Amino acid sequence: MLLGIDVGGTHTDAVALDLTNDRVDVAASCKVPTDHDNLLASVNAALETILADVNRTRVRQLNLSTTLSTNAIVEGRTEDVGLLVSAGPGIDPHHFRPCRDFHVLDGSIDHRGNEVRALPVSQVQRAVDACRENNIRVFASVGKFSTRNPRHENLMRRTICRCDSDTECENADFVTMGHELGGTLNFPRRLATAYFNCAVWRVYNQFATAVSESLSAMGLGHVRVNMLKADGGTMPLEASRSMPVQSIFSGPAASVMGIVALCDVVHDSVILDIGGTTTDIAVFAGGAPLVERDGIAIGSHPTLVRALKVRSIGVGGDSAITMLGEDVRVGPRRLGPSACMGGTHPTLTDALNMTGDCELGDVNASRRALEQFAAEHTMPAALLAQRAIEAAATAIHKATGELVHDINSKPVYTIHELLEGKRVIPRKVYVVGGPAQALKDHMFQRFKLSTEVPSNFGVANAIGAALTRTTWELELFADTERHVLFIPSLSYRENIPTSYTLDNAREDAVNNLIIHLDKLGVYLEPDKAQVTEASTFNMVKGYDTVGRNIRVKSQVRPGVVRTMAS
Amino acid sequence: MLKSEKSLGIIFFPAFDWAISPTHPEREERLLYTQDQLREEGLFDMEGIAEYKPLVADIEDVERVHFCFPEPQSVVTRSHLVSAGGAIRAAQLVMEGERDRSFAIVRPPGHHAMKVVHGSRGFCNINIEAVMIEWIREHYGPKRVAIVDTDCHHGDGTQDIYWHDPDTLFISLHQDGRTLFPGTGFPKDMGGPSALGRTLNIPLPPNTSDEGYLMAVERIVLPILEDFKPDLIINSAGQDNHYSDPITNMNVSAQGYAKLNSMLNPDIAVLEGGYAIQGALPYLNLGICLAMAGADFSHVREPDYTPEKWKQDARTTAYIEQLCDVLPQIYFNPPPFDGSEKSAQGVIAGDRAIRHKDIFYDTDGITEAQTETLYLCDHCRGLLSCESRSSNNPLCLGVEIPQSACPACRKKGYKLIEDAQIKGAYRYVQLINRLDKEYMRYGF
Ligand SMILES: [Zn+2]
Ligand SMILES: [Zn+2]
Ligand SMILES: [Zn+2]
Repeated sequence: MLLGIDVGGTHTDAVALDLTNDRVDVAASCKVPTDHDNLLASVNAALETILADVNRTRVRQLNLSTTLSTNAIVEGRTEDVGLLVSAGPGIDPHHFRPCRDFHVLDGSIDHRGNEVRALPVSQVQRAVDACRENNIRVFASVGKFSTRNPRHENLMRRTICRCDSDTECENADFVTMGHELGGTLNFPRRLATAYFNCAVWRVYNQFATAVSESLSAMGLGHVRVNMLKADGGTMPLEASRSMPVQSIFSGPAASVMGIVALCDVVHDSVILDIGGTTTDIAVFAGGAPLVERDGIAIGSHPTLVRALKVRSIGVGGDSAITMLGEDVRVGPRRLGPSACMGGTHPTLTDALNMTGDCELGDVNASRRALEQFAAEHTMPAALLAQRAIEAAATAIHKATGELVHDINSKPVYTIHELLEGKRVIPRKVYVVGGPAQALKDHMFQRFKLSTEVPSNFGVANAIGAALTRTTWELELFADTERHVLFIPSLSYRENIPTSYTLDNAREDAVNNLIIHLDKLGVYLEPDKAQVTEASTFNMVKGYDTVGRNIRVKSQVRPGVVRTMAS
Repeated sequence: MLKSEKSLGIIFFPAFDWAISPTHPEREERLLYTQDQLREEGLFDMEGIAEYKPLVADIEDVERVHFCFPEPQSVVTRSHLVSAGGAIRAAQLVMEGERDRSFAIVRPPGHHAMKVVHGSRGFCNINIEAVMIEWIREHYGPKRVAIVDTDCHHGDGTQDIYWHDPDTLFISLHQDGRTLFPGTGFPKDMGGPSALGRTLNIPLPPNTSDEGYLMAVERIVLPILEDFKPDLIINSAGQDNHYSDPITNMNVSAQGYAKLNSMLNPDIAVLEGGYAIQGALPYLNLGICLAMAGADFSHVREPDYTPEKWKQDARTTAYIEQLCDVLPQIYFNPPPFDGSEKSAQGVIAGDRAIRHKDIFYDTDGITEAQTETLYLCDHCRGLLSCESRSSNNPLCLGVEIPQSACPACRKKGYKLIEDAQIKGAYRYVQLINRLDKEYMRYGF
C-alpha cells in the first residue's frame, strides 16, 4: 500500500493505493481543508481519514508534497543565515546579497578549478565571529566555481564548524556548502539556493520530525517517507533534512506526475491542471515531462532548484468574470467563492453551470448572478457565460502557445542540435483538476487536439505524489590535464590518469548515482539511470593537446513506479 | 539583483562540434571557458539580458555579398552559415526593437573574408559582419553603417568588401601590419575613388595598452562617428589585443575592452578573433556583455592582471598621440585619389577604376590573382566586376549591380554577364543584382 499526500493551497488531498493485484487500485481517497497555520494537523487529518479504510500494517510508503518551505519563505518565517562568499573577479557579488550577515572574502578559484588566490584564514575567522555576535546558528559557504574545486567552501565550513555536516554542535546547527547543491554553473543561483536551504532548515526539520512522530503514534513507524521535489521526483525524508530547499514548489509536480500515472502519454502533449484560482500548464516531449533548463526562482532570486517546466496563469473555476468595454474576461482575480457556492460575484464555474457544462452547487444561484451582472453590462446572460468560457479557454490556449514557443526557442550549442533540433509539437491535451470535465469540450474546440480527462481527475495530484519515484542527478567533471575527477553534489573527488575517457566518465557517473541511491536505501534498476549530457573537449596548449575536459550529467529520470493507465 | 540599463540580446553559439583541426587556435575549446564564465556569473539571469538561438543563414544571404567560386556550398560549411546566422539574429533583435543592443558571441569568425572567396583566410571563409549588414539593407532598406573593427588583425576582408561603398564607414584599429598578419591596413588605404575617406586604418604599435588604445578611440574614432552619423554602429569585436593572446603582441586588458565598448556604444557587436581562450576570453566577453548592457563591470578583471606590468612606454604614447593628430584628416579631408600608374591603390583608366590584387589564403594555402573594376558613375555607386583566378579555380567572373544602381549601370551589368557567357573564357560567372534582388550563377 502506497500513500500519497499533497498539501495544497486550498485542500490537502490524500490517497491510499493498493498495488497487490498487479494493477493500481485507489483503496481510499479524501480531500480535507488545508490549515495554513498548522500543516501537520492537515497531514494528520488526511492520514486519519484514509487510514480508516485501509490496513495500517500493509502501508509501505508515504510520499508527501508540502507547501511548508514555500510558505515559510513567502510569509517571512525564515531564520537569519550567515553567508560566507569567495567570489574573485567578475560581477560584484554584493549585487546578489540576500541577507544581512553577508561576508565577501578575498579568495578566488577559476573556471578550470585552479586556486587563483587563497582564502585568508584570519579573514574567514573574523567573518564567522561577526556572524556569531549576531547569534547566527545556520551558515552557508559559497564559492564561485566551487563545483570545479570546493577547497574554499570546505575551508569556510571548517572554520565555521569542525564536525560532520549533519551533526549539530555548539558552533553551528547547520552548514550548507554550495557545491553540494549540484554541479550546475551559476554562482548567484548557488548563493541564493544555499541561503534558502539554510533559511528554511529549522522549520523544515521540525516539521519532518513531527511527521515521523505522528506516523509512529499512528502505528506507521515502519513506513518509509519520501518528500516530493519540484522536478517530479522524491527524496527520502532523512536525505531531505539537509536539502529542505528541494521541497519548494513541489505542488505542480504532483499533478504532472498524476497525469503520468493516470494516462499513457506517448506523444508531445499539453497537460492542464485547472484548479480553483490557477491553471498549471505543463508540456511533455514524447512521453516525458520537460524540466526547466535552469532552476526556479524563489521570490526574485533565481535558484538551482530543479523543477518541471510548469507555467501558471490566473484562470480557474473560482476566477471572477469581469468586463472591460465589450471584452469579457476571466481572472486573474478571485472575488470570493463562486455564486453557486454562496458567493456574490459570478465566476467561471457559474458560467459553466449556466451553459449546462456542469452542475455544481446551487445552479440557480449561478444563473441569478450572471443575469444580474449581464444586465449591468447590457448583454444577454447566456452570451456572457459563453464569452466567459471562451475567454478562459483562449487565455489557457494562448499561454500554452507561448510556453511551447519558449521551449522551442531555447538556445542550443551545437550545429547538430540546431539543424536537427527536435521541436515540440503537441498532439494531445490532458486535463485534470476540479473543472476539467466541464471544460473538456471547450478545450477541444480551442486546441483542436484530442482532449482527455482521466478518471480520478480530482485527486490526480495525490495519486501522482504516491507513485512518484525517487530521483537524483549528478554532474561529473573530469580534467585529464589536472588529473582530477569531481562530482560536486557528492563531494566526491578522485585522481584520474591521462588516459581517462568520456566512456570512463559515463560509467563512473552512472555507478556513482547507483551507489549514492543505494546509500539512501533506494534500489535503482541500472536502466533507470541515464546519461543526459556528455561532452569532451580537447585542451590545447600551443599546438599540442594537453588533456581533455570532460562533462557528464547523469540522472534518474523523473517518473512513476507504476501507472494506472490501460 | 543586478539590472541592466539597456536590454541586451546575446547569441551564444560556440559550435562545439566544429573545428578547423584539433589543435588549430580556432577550435571547439575556444568559447568553452567563456560559456563557463558567463553561466557561472549568472549573466543570463540578469534582468534585461536574454539569450537567443542563432538563425541559419541561407546560401542567398552569402550570395548577396560574396562572389564564391566555384560555388558557396564549396566554401562554407554549416557552421559558417550558423555563425553568420548568429550575426543576422543579432541584427534582427535590434532592428525589430526587441532588444536595445545585441552581441553575437559566435564562431567561426569572418573579417578576413573578402569580396571574392575561394577558401579560408585567417580562419575566415565568409564575412559574417558583411553578410549581416547586407541582410539588414535587403530587409530594412538602405542604411548608413559604421563598422569599427577592434580585432588585433587588420580587417582586410571587410575593408575589401566596402572599399567602394560611401555609405559604409569602415574603421579598423589593429596591430601595425608591418608586425602581424595579414600585413595590411595602412593609413594610405582610404577607400576607392567614390568612397574616399570611408575606409580608415589605425595601425597601432606592438605593446599598445589600454591607455593608447582608448586614446585612439576617443580622439580618432569618436569624432568621426559623430560626424558620419551612422544609422547603426557595428563592432567587429575581436579580442586578440589582449596582453595574453598567443598570436599577437598587444597589451589590452578586460577593463580596456569593456571601457572601449562603453565609449563606442555599438548597436551590435559580433565576435571576431581572440585566442587566449583560458585567461582572457571569459573575462573579456563578460566585460563586453556588461558594458553593452550598461551594467557595472568594475569588478571584471583577469585573475593575473597587474596594470603596472602592461603599462605602455612613453615612446608608444607619443607615437599614438601623433596618429591621433593626423589620422582624422583622412576622413575629414581626404587627399584626392591618385589613380596614376604608380599608385598602389589602383589606376583610373577612362571611366573605370581598376585594382590588381594578389591574395593568399593562409588557412587553405590558396593563391589568387584578381582584377577588380569599378565602372565610375555620376548617378550611382557604380557597377563592380571582379575577374579572378586561383590555384583552386580557373578564370571566374563576378558582377555586382549595387542597391542604388542607375538604369544605365543595371543595363551594363546584364551586358557584362551576357558577354561573359558568350565570349568570355570564364569557367564560372556570378551576378549579384542588389537592385532587383536577383542572385545568379552560371557555369556549373
Ligand atoms: Zn561543529
Ligand atoms: Zn584577429
Ligand atoms: Zn550608375
